[in-house]
Amino acid sequence: MREAGKPLTGGCQCGAVRYRMRGEAMYPHLCHCRMCQKASGNFFLPLIGASKEKFEWTRGEPSWFHSSEPVRRGFCSQCGTPLAFDTVGSSHISITHGSLDDVAAVTPVEQSGVEGRVPFYAELFALSETGSNRDDLPGGIEDVSSTNRQHPDHDTDRWPASDR
Amino acid sequence: MVQVHSGGCQCGAVRFRVEGPLGEASICHCRMCQKAFGGLYAPLVSVPDAAKLAWTRGRLKHFQSSNHAARGFCADCGTPLTYEAPDGIALAIGAFDDPAAAPPVIQFGVEAKLPFTDRMAEIPERVTEDDMEAAPFLATLVSFQHPDHDTDTWPPVEPRANDI
Repeated sequence: MREAGKPLTGGCQCGAVRYRMRGEAMYPHLCHCRMCQKASGNFFLPLIGASKEKFEWTRGEPSWFHSSEPVRRGFCSQCGTPLAFDTVGSSHISITHGSLDDVAAVTPVEQSGVEGRVPFYAELFALSETGSNRDDLPGGIEDVSSTNRQHPDHDTDRWPASDR
Repeated sequence: MVQVHSGGCQCGAVRFRVEGPLGEASICHCRMCQKAFGGLYAPLVSVPDAAKLAWTRGRLKHFQSSNHAARGFCADCGTPLTYEAPDGIALAIGAFDDPAAAPPVIQFGVEAKLPFTDRMAEIPERVTEDDMEAAPFLATLVSFQHPDHDTDTWPPVEPRANDI
C-alpha cells in the first residue's frame, strides 16, 4: 500500500519520459474498448486518473497521437511505451497503470468498455504459470538481467547511467 | 486453406500480415513487459518458422530493452507491436485486427505478477455507453483509429460520411 501523501512516479521503459503525480489516484480501471486495446497492443488498457494541477512530466515529454478529435494518447517516441490518455480541455489526465514505478500501489476498481472485452478474458487468470526463464540463452536469465536497459523503477538524477 | 491474420498499430502507419498457423500465445507478467506495454502484462503470440510474417505497411521502430531482446513499436502512435529475441519474434495480440484469434495458453514471468491481477475478472464492469452522461463527447466521437482490416490507402482520401 502506498504511504499517504507520497507522490506516485513512473515513466516509459527506456526512461526518456518520466512523470510524477501527487494527490489521489482517481478511478483506477481497466478499459477493454477496442481503441484502448489497439493503442496498447493489449487486451485492455489499465488507467489511473490524476488532477492536471498535481501532475507533471519530470523528464522529457511524450509524443501524442490524436485517436479522435477530443482524445489524444501519449507515448514515448524513443521506446513506444503507452503513457497517457488525455481528453483535451479536461482538468484530469489518465496515465497507464503499468508505467508506474510501483504498480502494486494502486488497485483497479472497475472494468469499462467491456463491449470490446476478449472472450477468453476470465480464463486468462487460470492458465498454467511459469517464472521468467531464458535457458535458451547461453547465460540464461542473467544474460538479460545483467544487460537490462530498462529504466529502474524510481527517479534517477541522470539517465542513461554514465557507464553505458 | 492457409490461415491469414492481419493487424497493426492504432494509427495504421504500420501493418502486418501472418500467413500460416500462429505459435504459442501467452501473457507475460515480467516487469519488462509490464513497463514496455504500460499494462499489467503483455499478451504475445509467437510466429513459428512455418508461418510467413510480412510488414505490409510502414516500418517498426525498435528499443533494445536488453542485449538480447528488442521491442518494436509504431513511431507515429506508440502501439507496442513486437518482442524480438534470438529465439524468434512475437506479436502483440491486442494489435491484431481480431485479437480473439490468439487465446493465450500459458502465463510467463509470474514472479512479477501483480497482487491483484488474478482478481481482475471479478471487479464491476461497464460498457462504453454507460459513460455517455459523464463524457457526452462519446455520442459524437469520430475515431481516427485504423479499422480492423487492411486498407488500400490510409488515411482515407475522402472523409466517409458513414463514419459519423
